[in-house]
Amino acid sequence: MGEFEPTIIAFVCNWCTYTAADLAGTSRLIQPPNVRMIRMMCTGMVDPKYVIKALLEGADAVLVSGCHPGDCHYINGNLKARRRIKLLKEILPKFGFDERRLKMTWIGASEGIDFAETIRELVAEVKALGPNQARRQMVI
Amino acid sequence: MKNKRGSALVVGAGISGMRSALDLAEEGYRVTLIDKAPGLGGTLRQLDYQFPTDHCGMCKMLPVVERDSASQYCLRKGFFHENIDIMAATELVGIEGEPGKFQVTLRHQPTMVDPERCIGCAACVTVCPVEVPDEFNAGLTTRKAVYLPVPHNVPNHYVVDPAACSRCGECERVCPTGAIDLQLEARKAFKVLVVDDELVVRDSIKEWLEDAGFQVEMAESGVEALEKLSQGGCSLLLLDVKMPGMDGVEVLKNAREMHPDLDVVMMTAYATVETAVEAMKVGAMDYLMKPFDPEALVALVVNRYRKLLRMGEQQFEVGAIILAAGFANFDPASAPDTYGYHTFENVVTSIEYERLMSGTGPHGGKLLRPEDSQRIRKIAWLQCVGSRNLHLNADYCSSVCCMFSIKEALLAKEKSDGQVDAAIFYMDMRTFGKDFQRYRERAERDYGVRFIRSRVHSVEAGEAGCLQLRYSDIEGRMHAEDFDLVVLATGQRPPAGSDELAELCGVERTPSGFFKTEPFSFSRTAKQGIFVSGSFGGLRDISESVIQAGSAAFAASTLLHAGGGSLSRVTDDEPAYRDVTRDPPKVAAALCSCAGDLARAADFKAIAQKLEGMGLEVFLTERMCTREGLDEACRVLRESRANRVLLGACMPYVYQRKLKDLGKSIGLHPFLIEVADIRTPAFPGRGEDRARVTREIASVLSMAASRLQGIDPLPPRSVPLSRRALVVGGGIAGMTAALGIAEHGYEVDLIERSEKLGGNLHRLYRTLDGWSPQQLLEQTAAAVNKHPHISVHLEARVVHSEGQVGRFVTTLEHAGGAGETIEHGVAILATGGSEAKPQEYGYGQCDAIVTQHELEDQLQRGQVAPGDLTSVVMIQCVGSREEPRNYCSRVCCAAALKNALYLKEHNPHVEVYILYRDMMAYGFLESYYTQARRAGVVFIQYQVAAKPRVETANGAVTVTALDPLLQREIALSPDLLVLSSGIVPSNGNDELAGIFGVTVNRDGFYQEAEYKWRPVEFLREGVFACGIGHSPRSITESMAMAEAASQRALSILSRERTMGGSITAQVRHSLCSLCQLCIEACPYGARRYDAEDEVIVIDELACQGCGACAAVCPNSASVLRGYRDQQLFSMLDAALEELF
Repeated sequence: MGEFEPTIIAFVCNWCTYTAADLAGTSRLIQPPNVRMIRMMCTGMVDPKYVIKALLEGADAVLVSGCHPGDCHYINGNLKARRRIKLLKEILPKFGFDERRLKMTWIGASEGIDFAETIRELVAEVKALGPNQARRQMVI
Repeated sequence: MKNKRGSALVVGAGISGMRSALDLAEEGYRVTLIDKAPGLGGTLRQLDYQFPTDHCGMCKMLPVVERDSASQYCLRKGFFHENIDIMAATELVGIEGEPGKFQVTLRHQPTMVDPERCIGCAACVTVCPVEVPDEFNAGLTTRKAVYLPVPHNVPNHYVVDPAACSRCGECERVCPTGAIDLQLEARKAFKVLVVDDELVVRDSIKEWLEDAGFQVEMAESGVEALEKLSQGGCSLLLLDVKMPGMDGVEVLKNAREMHPDLDVVMMTAYATVETAVEAMKVGAMDYLMKPFDPEALVALVVNRYRKLLRMGEQQFEVGAIILAAGFANFDPASAPDTYGYHTFENVVTSIEYERLMSGTGPHGGKLLRPEDSQRIRKIAWLQCVGSRNLHLNADYCSSVCCMFSIKEALLAKEKSDGQVDAAIFYMDMRTFGKDFQRYRERAERDYGVRFIRSRVHSVEAGEAGCLQLRYSDIEGRMHAEDFDLVVLATGQRPPAGSDELAELCGVERTPSGFFKTEPFSFSRTAKQGIFVSGSFGGLRDISESVIQAGSAAFAASTLLHAGGGSLSRVTDDEPAYRDVTRDPPKVAAALCSCAGDLARAADFKAIAQKLEGMGLEVFLTERMCTREGLDEACRVLRESRANRVLLGACMPYVYQRKLKDLGKSIGLHPFLIEVADIRTPAFPGRGEDRARVTREIASVLSMAASRLQGIDPLPPRSVPLSRRALVVGGGIAGMTAALGIAEHGYEVDLIERSEKLGGNLHRLYRTLDGWSPQQLLEQTAAAVNKHPHISVHLEARVVHSEGQVGRFVTTLEHAGGAGETIEHGVAILATGGSEAKPQEYGYGQCDAIVTQHELEDQLQRGQVAPGDLTSVVMIQCVGSREEPRNYCSRVCCAAALKNALYLKEHNPHVEVYILYRDMMAYGFLESYYTQARRAGVVFIQYQVAAKPRVETANGAVTVTALDPLLQREIALSPDLLVLSSGIVPSNGNDELAGIFGVTVNRDGFYQEAEYKWRPVEFLREGVFACGIGHSPRSITESMAMAEAASQRALSILSRERTMGGSITAQVRHSLCSLCQLCIEACPYGARRYDAEDEVIVIDELACQGCGACAAVCPNSASVLRGYRDQQLFSMLDAALEELF
C-alpha cells in the first residue's frame, strides 16, 4: 500500500457548504479525493450519533460545515451545531478518538476556494494524526 | 391545483425583479422574468456580504409555503419556480395594446452557445485570443470573449460576448459537443453598401466591417450606388451626406423608391448634421458622425443587422408589466476627476472594493492594493460621490451608500483582525433605517471605524505608493492624511436603457431621470398596467427594494385580478404519481458516461456490479444533460417500473428542475429521485488513477442508493386553508392591506381599537410633495367602509389567537366586553405607533415648546400664524438615536423640512433654525433640504456631547447651541421651539405579538423574519407586519409595505389547499416522551403540544425541514422525512465500506 490516504466524512449543509463544494467542483479546483459528502438540509440536524458512528466505522475524520453565523437559512441551525460540536469534541476522547478528528467550519455558497482549502488542510492534519484505529478495535 | 390565468412580464432579474416575479408566481400567476444581462441576480451577484448580518441569506426569499415549486438552493447561484419563465440576455423592445392585454415584443441577445449542449469544459476559453475587462469583478480582472458571466451560477453555461468576439472561430472548432455557433455564415450573407466619395473612408469601413464578418460593397458616388442597388441583394446602405454630384439625401430618396424597405444609415461631418437629421425624416434610420469610432460603427451595423433580421424576437400577451431594471452606479470617470479615479489605480468605487474583498475576486479575498498588490493598511471611504451634487444633476441622496460604506469598513476590520485602519469621510451619516444607527455605533465603538465629518478637497499621490487625502473638517481646518486605498461611495443613477424604456412605456420621468410615480405610490406610474419595482424607482437599499417589489407585484396582481385573472381554470399541474407506498423499495440507477469520457476514467462495469449487488437495476446513458439523453433515461426508467430512481451525473443542482419533468414522465414523485455527482471524482488532477476513481464513484452511488432505499415514499399531504384575512390596526397601513386583500375577493376583518379608522393620518395635513393626507384618509376610509368584503370592527381588540397558517382562530373583545371568534388563514399586524412625547428640552413647561405634529396641527387650525412669528428653532433627534431609543425615526427630518418650508413660504422673513445631528434627507427628500437652505433656513449641526440647552422664563424660550463653524455658543430666542421627537411603537404591540406567537425587537417594533429578505413576514408563517409598528416610515412607505404584506398574504389565500415541502418533520408518537425539547428547537414555531390528545403536533406548512427537532430529540421520536437515522447510518456504512 502507498501513503496513508485518509477518508473524511463531510456533513455539509444544503444551502452553503454543499453549494461551495459544488462550486469547487465546477470551477475545477483541484482537491484531494478523500471526502465523502453527505448533504444535510442544515448542520443543525447533524446528530452527534452520526459523527460517532462515522468515526466508529473507521472514518479518519469528520467535517461538519455550514453557513456562516447569522447566515443560516434556518435562522440559527448552524449555531445549534456549533454548540453541539463543541460538546462533542469534549467527549470524543472518551470514545478513544482524538478530538482533532472532528472539525467544524463555516463555508458560504460562493466560497468554493475555501472549501477546497479546508479539505486540503484537513487531509494534511489527519495524515499527521495517522489512520483511525477505531474500527479494528471495535471489530475485535 | 388551480392556476390563475393572468400573466405578467417582469423586466430585470435583480433582487426586486425576482421578488416581484416570485410574489406573482406564488399567487399562481404566470410570470416571464427577463434580464438584459446573461445571468440573474443583478447587483446582488457581485455582493458577497450584506448588512446587517454581513453575510448573505438571500435564499430566505424562496417560497416557504409550497416550497417544492421553487428551487431549494442558494439563490445567488440560480433560481427557478414552476410559474416563472426566466429569459436571460433578453430585452423588452415593444409594447402594444392596453392594460390587461399588452402585446410585448422581446429580443434575445444571441449567446452563440447552446446551453443544452455546453458541458462547461472550458476548452473554448483556453483557445480564445481575446481579453477584455471582466464586468463581474468590476473590471479588476480580465476575461475572454467566451466566458461565464457569473462564475458561481448553476446551471452555468459559457456565453460569447459578441462585442468582444474577434470571430476567429477557434472556439467553434475546439468545442467537443458542437455547442458554439458564431453565426459567421449569416453575417457573410448580410451585404453592406458603403457610399462615400473619399477612398480612405470607404476602405477603413470596409476593413472594419469585414473583420466583423459582414460582406461589404463600395461605391464612390451616388450614381454608382444606385446602379449597385439596382442589382439587388444589398441589406444596409451606409451613405455619406455630402458628395459631389448627387448628394446623400438625393441618393436616399432614389434608393427608397427602388427598395422601400431598404435600411439606410447616414454618415455625416459635424457641419452637415442638420442635413443628416433631415434625412431621417425621409427614411434614414440613423446617422453616424465623422470621424468614426470603429467600435461604435460596428456596433451600429450589428444592431441594424439584428433588427433587420428580427433575430431572436418573440411576441406574446401579458396582463401587466413590472419594470425592475435596477440602477446604474455613478461612474466617477464620467465627471470631473475630483478624487483621482482617472489617475490612480488605488482609487476604486464601492462595487470595485466589494470585488476586491470577495473570495471570488482578483486576490481571493485578500486586501491588496490594485496597483502594486501591496498589503492594504489604511482605507478611506468618501461619501456622496455622484450624489447630493447639483452640478451632476443629482439633487438627491442615493440612500444606500452610508450603510454600504459602514459595512465595507466593518468587513475590512473583520477580515484583518482590526489591523486595517478604516475612515469614512462624510457630510451626514444617514443611518435612517431599522437598526442602522446601532450598526453605525457598533462600527465606531467596537471596531474603531473612524467617522470624519468633512469635505474632501483632493486626492493626490502620497508617500510609498499611498494616496494623500486633503480635507477640511467641520470647523474649516485643513488636514492631510495618507491612505493605501480610497473607496468612492458612488451613488445611484437610472440604469442604461432607461431612455428607451421610458419611451417604450410612455412614462414620464423626473429631472434626474427616474420614472415618475403617482401620489402615495412608489409603484404605479401614470400609465396603467405598467409598474415600477425596487431600486428602479430610485434610491433604495435591498430591504426597501424587496418591500417595494412586493408593492409592485401587488399592484400588478390587482390589475390582473380585475382583468379576469381570478377566473380560475383547472390545470393538470399536479401530476398523478404512482402510489408506491406499499411496494418494497426498488431502485433503478441511470448513469451518465459523459459521452464515454467517464467510462474511460472509471470502470463502469465494476460500478454496475457493485450497485447490482445492492439490488439496483443499472442503466447507462451517454449524455444525461442533453434533452435526448434525459429522454432516453426516461424511457428505460419507465419500462423498469422501479419506485426509486438514482441518477449518476454531474452538477446535481442542474437537475433539480428537470427532476419534476422526469418524475411526471415516469409517474414517480420527485422526492423519490436523487442525483449523485459522479463527474467530480474524475476531474483532472484527481482522475489519473482509474481504480481510485472507480472506487469513489461506486462509493458516491452506493451512498445515494442506500439513502433512497430507506426513504419514506408517502407523498406530502395538502392542507385546506381558511381563505379569510385578519388585519389588526386601522391606520393607513392596515386599511391599505385590508383593501388590497378584499379587492382580490377574500373576506377581511379589520380590527381597530379606537373609535375611528385613520390613525396618524388624522394629525397630518400635507406632505413634502404637496399631497393631501386628509384626502387620502377620506378616500381610503370610505373605500374600506363600503367594501362588501371588509368587516370593520371598531373599539375592538384581539385577546387570543391559536392555530397555524391557514387555520387561525382568533378571539376579539368588543368595547362592551362582548367576545367574537374569527377563523382566518392569515393575519397582518399593522398596529402602528405615534409621535413620542418629549422628556427633554423643557417640553411641557411652556406653550412655546411643541412637537412637529403639534406645530402642524396648530398651523392647520390657525392657532399659530406664520406671519406672527419672527423666529422658530427646531431641534432634531429629541430622545432619538441614543439609548434607550437608539434608532432614527426617519420621518422627523422630513417633517422639519416640511414645516420649515411652510413657514418660509408663508412668511419669508421668519428665521428658522434647525439644530440637527445628521439631516436624514434620504432619497429624493434631499431636494427639499436644498430648497430649505435656498429659502434661508439655517442648519446648525450639534454633537450628542454638546446638545443645545433650553431655558424658559416667563413663557419665553432661550436656546443655546454651539455653532461648529464659529466654534462659539450662540443664543437664540425663538417664538416657538419645535421638538422632533420621533416615533414610538404603539403600546400593546408586544402583547399582540405574544398573542400571535411573534416577537418585537428591543425598541418594541415588530421583529420581522429577516430584515432584508423577508421584511414583511414573521418567522411564524402566516403572520405579517406592516406600517410603523414594524419601523418608522412615511405614509407612502407604510402603504408600500402594507401592499407588500397583503401580497405575501395573497400567496397563501390564493389556494384552497396548499402543500408543505417534501422534507418535513414527523413525530413517532409511540417513542415520544413529550419532553418538548423539539418545540424549543423549532425556529419557525411549527410545533406545539396538544394537551388534549397529549401529543406533539407539527404544522406541516410552517415546518421548513431544517431537522433541528430531530437532532435534539433524545428518543429519535422526531424524524425528518428523507433524513431518518437509518438512512444516515446506511449512507455512512456505504461511504466507509471501501476502507476494509
